[in-house]
Amino acid sequence: MADQSQESLPTSKVARAARFAKTGFKVGANYVQHYAKKAVGADSPTADLHEANAAELYGTLSEMKGSVLKVAQMLAMEKNLLPPAYAAQFKQAQYQTPPLSGPLVVKAFRDAFGHSPSQIFDKFEPEARQAASIGQVHFARKMGKDLAVKVQYPGVGASIQSDIAMVKPVALRIMGLKEETLRPYIAEVEARLLEETDYKLELSRGQAVAAKCGHLPHLQFPTYYPALSGARILTMDWLPGQHMTEFLAGSPSQEVRNQLGQALWDFYQYQLRELRQLHADPHPGNFLFSLTAGGTVGVLDFGCVKNVPPLEQQQFLALLDPATLADPSRLETLLVEAGVLRPADPAALRAMYLRTLTQSLELVGRPFRQETFDFGDPAYLQSLYALGDDLMQDQDLRQQREPRGSAHFVYLNRTYVGLFSLLTELGAVVRTQYQG
Amino acid sequence: MEPTLLKPAYLDYLRRHGRAPKTVFAFADAQGITEGEFYRHYASFAVIDREAWVDFGREARTQAAEEPAWQGYGAREKLLAFYYTLLEILKNNRSFVLLTLGRSQKRKPALIPKVLGNFEDEFKEFVQEILQEGRATGEVASRPFLQDGYGRIFLRQLQFILLYFVRDESANFERTDAAVEKAVTLSFDLVGRNTFDSALDFGRFLLQKRA
Repeated sequence: MADQSQESLPTSKVARAARFAKTGFKVGANYVQHYAKKAVGADSPTADLHEANAAELYGTLSEMKGSVLKVAQMLAMEKNLLPPAYAAQFKQAQYQTPPLSGPLVVKAFRDAFGHSPSQIFDKFEPEARQAASIGQVHFARKMGKDLAVKVQYPGVGASIQSDIAMVKPVALRIMGLKEETLRPYIAEVEARLLEETDYKLELSRGQAVAAKCGHLPHLQFPTYYPALSGARILTMDWLPGQHMTEFLAGSPSQEVRNQLGQALWDFYQYQLRELRQLHADPHPGNFLFSLTAGGTVGVLDFGCVKNVPPLEQQQFLALLDPATLADPSRLETLLVEAGVLRPADPAALRAMYLRTLTQSLELVGRPFRQETFDFGDPAYLQSLYALGDDLMQDQDLRQQREPRGSAHFVYLNRTYVGLFSLLTELGAVVRTQYQG
Repeated sequence: MEPTLLKPAYLDYLRRHGRAPKTVFAFADAQGITEGEFYRHYASFAVIDREAWVDFGREARTQAAEEPAWQGYGAREKLLAFYYTLLEILKNNRSFVLLTLGRSQKRKPALIPKVLGNFEDEFKEFVQEILQEGRATGEVASRPFLQDGYGRIFLRQLQFILLYFVRDESANFERTDAAVEKAVTLSFDLVGRNTFDSALDFGRFLLQKRA
């Protein structure tokens, strides 16, 4: 679920977020990134070409709805995979699709419940309040409760596979990526997409996560209403609060921002360590911020939930352990286990990987090694940017053409990149040590 | 026997057997009436087919207008609401739809059979009403002479949607819903004030200058 206010994101912030994400988590996640860098890191004529292509491709895709758009957006999320020109274009995409017409919304309700929305709710706003990539959100009221009703575009589920088949060759050609590079990623995206179209699944997940994380302080989860939900309609509480940009425009105090950042950090730590299940879409549109009780975060949209297998969880946590960074041989062992380094690698290549990964890990894992961490620290951001640029420039790295590491790291990576960028925008100081 | 009972009996036969009764006599006999009595109400089975379609159209209009939100709808939304309601009715009668439309499909796929004749006439009237309303609110551009042809454009749209529905194989015919949404948006972009009107206005201005 994303908000229209995103449209007004200052360009500098978008650019910042994009640059930030470019760095990514290099922890075992040089999965697809190499290729993107090959694509992006080229000289300027290519960059111009990308920009022209992006505008053209975007023009085509923006007229479509549903899964094509969603694929584009997911590719945009994984900015490392996509030249920046495309990423920026696709980011806009979800705000420019025409909304579902009133009669179609009515039809969706009649299909699901046999009644029109005005019969089901005491009040139902025919105009959508927000657009989401595979649906839109309406405001409704029943029994004195404010409700958010998500309605899915028709035919999204049915068309995902054909849409992906359609978008794939275009993506491959225009982005200059290889088929085998994109294949595992596309497969993962397709699986997630199909899940996202299943509102019943989202409902049960939303309820489950809310039950498991309800005890965490300063977090708020909507109650879902199964009787008012179906495969294409999802009804939940309308949470109070504003999206990031609007909220920050009201200049909340540092204490409030810290508390919000802390709530987010604890939420993700708890999910990764205890639940092994992640709300894997830390998009700014999926959180609502309010001043309630000194800062409360509302969590929306459980369409994209990633289960992390125990092995990958252990590897990921071990990599972030301070002791790992201090001990090169331990790091090496871990990377071999994770499949990033291979026994057959020539010594020079192995050294190159180790050097790069140590560098990334030092920087990206830094918040995990300290008691508290200031995400608003400009110096930290600067060094992240610098690292991103260094990696881009690295000739040896750019010559590596095969993906390495587990596919699960793709989503772990995406989740933490998203989280870091949220915290950075909040400028929060966070106690990063896990209290368990 | 009342014609109100004759029609459902015939439609039921048609749906069960996948074809019309062999003869009017056989059908009338099964209903316990004489062949002559049948002709007092209908000249042939084809007449009942046509009437069934007219009924669908009227029912769709009535049902759509019963929706509380109807009063607040503009012209575009009224047409959409009509289509969606119609499709809902057709979904419940899909066997009949396939039989009456599908038969002509094999020979000339894009041809709409005669069975839709009266249904289409009433649809055209409905569209004229809606467009009239749309012109009053400014949703539809007023274009003398040209706008007389709009009825035909919307008729083609209706035919397109019906054919799409006949061929649609997606679950719950969701693709047809999407097709309706897009087709109606396009048509109202065309009949609304757009580039064409500005071009016409510009052309008129140039001509006046010469005179």
